[in-house]
Amino acid sequence: MHAPVISVLIDVDSAWRGQRRGGGRGYGAATIAALDHASQSLGVQAHVRVVPTDTIDRDVIADPGAAVVVGPGSPYRNPEGVLEVIRVARENGIPLVGT
Amino acid sequence: MLVEHARNLAGIPDAAHAEYGAGGTAVISLLACSLQGQTINLDLTPGSRLAELSGTLRTVEHTTCSYGLASDMQELASGHGLRVGAVDDTGEVRATERVDHPFYLATLYQPQLRSAPGRPHPVFVGLLNALTGTE
Repeated sequence: MHAPVISVLIDVDSAWRGQRRGGGRGYGAATIAALDHASQSLGVQAHVRVVPTDTIDRDVIADPGAAVVVGPGSPYRNPEGVLEVIRVARENGIPLVGT
Repeated sequence: MLVEHARNLAGIPDAAHAEYGAGGTAVISLLACSLQGQTINLDLTPGSRLAELSGTLRTVEHTTCSYGLASDMQELASGHGLRVGAVDDTGEVRATERVDHPFYLATLYQPQLRSAPGRPHPVFVGLLNALTGTE
């Protein structure tokens, strides 16, 4: 069985911007790390893929075994694509977190 | 997520995020006072999934938000399947969740900034649990 896939919608240029401020982790890196912390604590495997919003594809909402994390790091390059993913996830019971 | 909700469920077809310009009805607007780099105290809604996951009704979170739910749009976060998950000390909505969905949570703060090895944030634990069906 394939590990479930978590797509993280972030545009790398903006999502990693935080790294240059105050020496803290960037928002994108912090999001990936937070998913890793949760997986390890629960002892579950998940494949985390970073999806820039202008490369959103069908795999983002492949059901079953998909989850989506939206943001942080707006403005997105493809805001309408992000809204479409949110709609499909909402209507199809795909786990979704937006921060 | 609130823009999608407003457009497709709450009857505001031109709902918009102010960061993209002045067009449409601003659902998400620039905060009067930027919360960039702040910590905020949150009161979690008793009975909400967020409270259940957190095991408490009071948390401190980090935020980098310069934008939030517009003050005249606060009611958007409840109704049409949504319920408020958390409010901050000023009473503004900071989290909302769907009652009719396995896991649908929008935060106007950044839970990932409080996560650490061995101390995962409840929001991401909840997402993983929903994904792997162990909830």
